Amino acid sequence: MSGVDEKDESAVYRRVVLKNASPYHYLEVCLVLQDESTRLSAVELKQFIISGLKSLYGEVGAALTFDLLKYDEDKLTALLRVYSRGLVKLWSSLTLLGSYQNQACAFRVLQVSPFLLALTGNSRELQLD
Amino acid sequence: MMTVDLDQTPRSLLVFDRSSFLDEKNRISSQVEQHHFNYKVSVLLPECSSAPSHLDSVLNSFKSFYLIRNMPIYELLDKHFLETAAYKGSVYGLSYRTRVDEDNCVALMPNGRLCLSLDKDSFQVLGVEGKPSRFNHRTNSRYVVSVDLTHSSMAPGGRGYVRLLTGLRSRLHLKTDFLLSHHPGGGASLQALLSRYDWSEHRPEIRSRVLTQLSCPALLTSDLQSSDPHSFLEWLGAVDADASRENSSSSFLSSLVCPEPSTTLNQALSVSVCGLLLPQDIHRLIQEIRRHLEHHLESWASLTVHGFVDSPVSWGDSEHGVMRGGENFYSLLMFHDHTYHLHQATGAHDTCPP
Repeated sequence: MSGVDEKDESAVYRRVVLKNASPYHYLEVCLVLQDESTRLSAVELKQFIISGLKSLYGEVGAALTFDLLKYDEDKLTALLRVYSRGLVKLWSSLTLLGSYQNQACAFRVLQVSPFLLALTGNSRELQLD
Repeated sequence: MMTVDLDQTPRSLLVFDRSSFLDEKNRISSQVEQHHFNYKVSVLLPECSSAPSHLDSVLNSFKSFYLIRNMPIYELLDKHFLETAAYKGSVYGLSYRTRVDEDNCVALMPNGRLCLSLDKDSFQVLGVEGKPSRFNHRTNSRYVVSVDLTHSSMAPGGRGYVRLLTGLRSRLHLKTDFLLSHHPGGGASLQALLSRYDWSEHRPEIRSRVLTQLSCPALLTSDLQSSDPHSFLEWLGAVDADASRENSSSSFLSSLVCPEPSTTLNQALSVSVCGLLLPQDIHRLIQEIRRHLEHHLESWASLTVHGFVDSPVSWGDSEHGVMRGGENFYSLLMFHDHTYHLHQATGAHDTCPP
C-alpha cells in the first residue's frame, strides 16, 4: 500500500508525502552468546542467520535476500537491510534462533526502522554518566 | 483457521519538501523551531577536510545543558521555577533514560506546556485528566496528560494546579533523571532548582571524521525530479553509519550501492553533535552552512537532525511514540542557490510533520 500526494503551490515549492513507500527496512541487532569470548566473522554471521531462516521457513524462506551492511566483530552487533515485505520473516527467525554451534544464543533486536539514517541517531545510546 | 500475512509491509511516513530559502513562504524556520527535542545533528560537507572556522565556532557555541538526577517531577510546578524560567519561555526539559513505550516520560516545552506520557497504573494513581495514547495496541495501556502551565487554570493556587501538584507530590511520587536546557536568562533562574538535587552540566559532544574517495549521488547534475528520496536517505545513512557502499553484485554480504548516477568526491567532512540540542542553535547552524555554500559554487551540504526516540512529543505538540521504531528526524539538503530539499520522517502512527 503506497500513497503519493502532491501539492504544487508555486514553481519553486513542492511537497510530496510518501506513505509506506520505503522499499527496505533496517535492523540493528546484537548477538548474545553463552560463551562471551566466541567470535564470528561477517560471513559466518550471515550464514547463521540464513540457517535460521531455513529452519523456520524452509528453502524458500532461506532465499529471502538481506544485506549485512555493517558488522562490529567485537561487539557482535550488525546492521541488516531487508525488503520491507520480508521484515516479519527475518525478525521472527532472528527471535527463534536459539543455538549457535551447541551453545545457547539470542539475537537482541536493538532498533528497527524504514530509514537507515534513523539507526545512526538513536538517542537511547546517549551516555552522560 | 486464522492466517497471518507474513508479507505485511510495515508502515512508514516520509514528507519531502522542495523549496528555496529565498521564497518568503518557506516554512523552514517554523519546521526547525517546532522540533523541540533534538538529540543529534550531523552535517556532511563535500570537498572539505576540516571544518571552516565559522562553522566550527557555531558548533562550539551550542548551548550546554543540565542533567538532574532523580528529580521529582513536581519540582517543575515549583512557583519560583515557573516565574523565573517556565513562564519566560525557552526552557526545554525531557526525562532521561525513560522509554516512552515502557516507562513514564515527561517533557517540558518552551511554550510552557508540560506533557506526561504514563502507563495505565501511574495515570490512574495520578488522578488528573488525560487522554489515551494514540500508540495503544488493542487495549489502552498508555495515557497522555498535557497541561499548559501558562494557562490561568494552572496558576499556582488554582484548582488545576493544586490537583496536579498533589498528584505528583503525594500520590504518584514520579521521579526521573531529567535533562534541562540552559535558560537564556542565565543560570541564576535555575540555580534554586539545581541546588536541591544532584546535577551536572554537559556540553554537546562534537565528533568529526574525514571521508576520502566518497562515491555520492550526482545531486547537482542529475534530474532531481526523478531522484528517489528513499535511496538518497539510505545513502546518507550508509555514510553516517560507515557502512560499506562499494559492493559488487556478486558479494555475499551486502548489495548496497550508491544510487546512480554517481560521482566520486575526493574528500568530505562529516561532523556530528550530540546532546540536548536547541532549535535556535540548529537554526544558526543552518544559516552558517548557507553562508559557507555562498562561497562554494556548485556545491551542496547536508544536515540531519535526529529527535529523541523517547520524547512524548515530536513536532509541536503532536504525540510521538514507539511502536516498532521511534524515529523522528529531518534531513535538509542545501544547495548553493539557496534551494533546499527537506525530508521529514517519522513513525507511521505519528501525525504528519508540519
